[in-house]
Amino acid sequence: MFSILIKKELIAILQNPKFITTFAVSSFLIILSVLIGINEYKNNLAQYDTGISLAKSKIEESRSWHSINAIAYRKPDPMQIFVSGVNNDIGRFSNVSRQGEVKLQNSSYSDDPVFAIFRNIDFAFIMTIVLSLFAIMFTYNAVNGEKEDGTLRLLFSNSISRAEFIASKVVGAWLGLVVPLLIPISISFLLIISFDINFRFFDWSRVLTLAFVSITYFTFFIIFGILVSSITKSSSTSFLLLLTFWIITVFIIPRVGVIAAGQIIRIPSHAEIESQLDAFSKDSWKNYTTQLSKTWNERRLQMEGMSESEKAMYEDDNSWGWMQTDDKLRKINEENITDYSRKLFEGYKNNRIELRKLALTLSRFSPASAYQLAAMNMASTDIALKVRYEDAIQLYKEKILSHASQKAETDGDSFGLRISMDSEKGISVEGGRDQNMLDTSELPQFAEPSYTFAQIFEPTIIDISILFILSIACFGLSVYRFSKFDLR
Amino acid sequence: METMNKTAPILEAVNLSKKYEDGMLALNNVSFEVKPGEIFSMLGGNGAGKTTTINIFLNLLEPTSGEAKINGIVTHESPLEAKKNVAFLSENVMLYPEFTALQNIDFFVKLGGKLNYTKSDYQKVLKRVGLQTEAHEKKLKGFSKGMRQKCGIAIAILKDAPAILLDEPTSGLDPKAGHEFVKLLADLRDEGKAILMSTHDIFRAKEISDYVGIMNKGSLVMKKSRAELQGENLEQLYVQFMAGYMDTVA
Repeated sequence: MFSILIKKELIAILQNPKFITTFAVSSFLIILSVLIGINEYKNNLAQYDTGISLAKSKIEESRSWHSINAIAYRKPDPMQIFVSGVNNDIGRFSNVSRQGEVKLQNSSYSDDPVFAIFRNIDFAFIMTIVLSLFAIMFTYNAVNGEKEDGTLRLLFSNSISRAEFIASKVVGAWLGLVVPLLIPISISFLLIISFDINFRFFDWSRVLTLAFVSITYFTFFIIFGILVSSITKSSSTSFLLLLTFWIITVFIIPRVGVIAAGQIIRIPSHAEIESQLDAFSKDSWKNYTTQLSKTWNERRLQMEGMSESEKAMYEDDNSWGWMQTDDKLRKINEENITDYSRKLFEGYKNNRIELRKLALTLSRFSPASAYQLAAMNMASTDIALKVRYEDAIQLYKEKILSHASQKAETDGDSFGLRISMDSEKGISVEGGRDQNMLDTSELPQFAEPSYTFAQIFEPTIIDISILFILSIACFGLSVYRFSKFDLR
Repeated sequence: METMNKTAPILEAVNLSKKYEDGMLALNNVSFEVKPGEIFSMLGGNGAGKTTTINIFLNLLEPTSGEAKINGIVTHESPLEAKKNVAFLSENVMLYPEFTALQNIDFFVKLGGKLNYTKSDYQKVLKRVGLQTEAHEKKLKGFSKGMRQKCGIAIAILKDAPAILLDEPTSGLDPKAGHEFVKLLADLRDEGKAILMSTHDIFRAKEISDYVGIMNKGSLVMKKSRAELQGENLEQLYVQFMAGYMDTVA
């Protein structure tokens, strides 16, 4: 009986005129997004290769170990073809030098902000926005539509159970909508192969998991559509409710989550932090100056009544000790300021981490956010990508500077500037006197942050679980609600 | 069919009552039985309880008290088992508009547990009920009420259940279609089906029924056999019962 019901659902979907349209639109969008993704990935890869060559020649041209400048590039990940995530928002490289801070710069969007206006259309976007809407369009009248059409009474004049009916609706819609979806997904995979994208086994594991998560997300909307159609009497009401839910889920909750987190955890801005630090620093130096003048007054008082020669002798005897005391006081003051600054920025960083955690937790109330986060994690284009790269570049910086210092000690260095003034040539500044090239062959190479599949999968477990639990809960609720449904 | 007891009733209402949550008494202690090869027609105005009775037999509603039995099986106790023994045809046969006549029949007949029919079996029955051959492969959305009714009867015939429930089956049919329907019903009765029909159509009820019952305000106020109705003016009886001039149950 169950298979008969499923077969009917399948035929109903496949014969539905809107099926052809939605199938064509979703297939076109998925394939187009993958083609665009492939093109963009290849461009990024070419840009990366050029950057690496430039960085290499820049290092080779270095004349001093002390002024060595490297550039670390962020390697494009082939998974960005499916989920661009924050890939275009964060910088592509960071300068690595003794003076500068590690900071990824020149993001795609900062290079060309026009693309930031409408963002990217990638596979994850199509799943989140387009296919979830299609799932609703096919299921909003799954149950109440049968009642409106009058077929429910005839159906239940046969020996079928209500649970069987709901299960057949879910399975039928799933097969009718998900299986055709596998066609453009498979074509996308073929495109990856035919365009010779370097997809390793690791990447295939990630993309297959992404497909699984996407199908789970799609399934949730199918089941949710069936649930709403089983708790409402008319199909127009269920469509309106589902549309409202879709808007809230896809557009509102993810944004509200972030805004609400910002209201709950109040974090001062970077400028406020700097102003706090400035105020503390000024106060400290003021106290230090006051303390210093007090000390000098005390010292003068100690010399009162002394003759000039005695004073000179006394000063000669104590000046070194006084200098040491004053210097110690200065150093303590400096340390206090550094300590305060460290604590301030550490607190700021921790608060930001807390804020991010809370924002993600609140956003996860939306299945669309849960899916988006899981997809970004699987593609390694998640919000932690910047931190991962900056940490790896920081490590690289430490290695490269340590290597440079070691080399400067063992091989000697030509660090120095020659400033010449000539009445005819004017002022000229020259670098090292020794124009010999540095041997940079042993210079450490930048290693991109690497992770195992398990490390990538672990943070997605919560999001996948949310989608699973929601789907199962909606199914259970559908069965329960339909057991009370008036079939007449 | 083999296990069917020819003398035992196939459809049986035993002190059937239904009171809705709002306190409305839709059925009040209704009892009757329909044996194989019998047609029992329930006459009555809107809200008399005819459809409620059929809905209880189909387990679309549970009785407040009493029992509805199909082939001896209490419908609200073993609904799935009971419904294996019944075919149903409603006033406005609603099938899937995007399916062809054959697709609809294939689905509902298989749902009724008959899995071995072939396409030609379906076509034979469709021909028997009078649906033109060219309509067999057409989608239902373009069908008239009469054509849909014929598909519904075909489904009921193919399900080959010992009991058939008909809810206002002739309502809205043109005279020719109504006449054909009555003919078909007589054939089904002759095949040994127990038929329970709710109708407003006094003329056809008298023409085809073995028993006629009149329902008013949830009660079966009259039940007479074909023999008892001979020489009686059923229309007059109906009006009298509905107006409350008479309140005896025959």
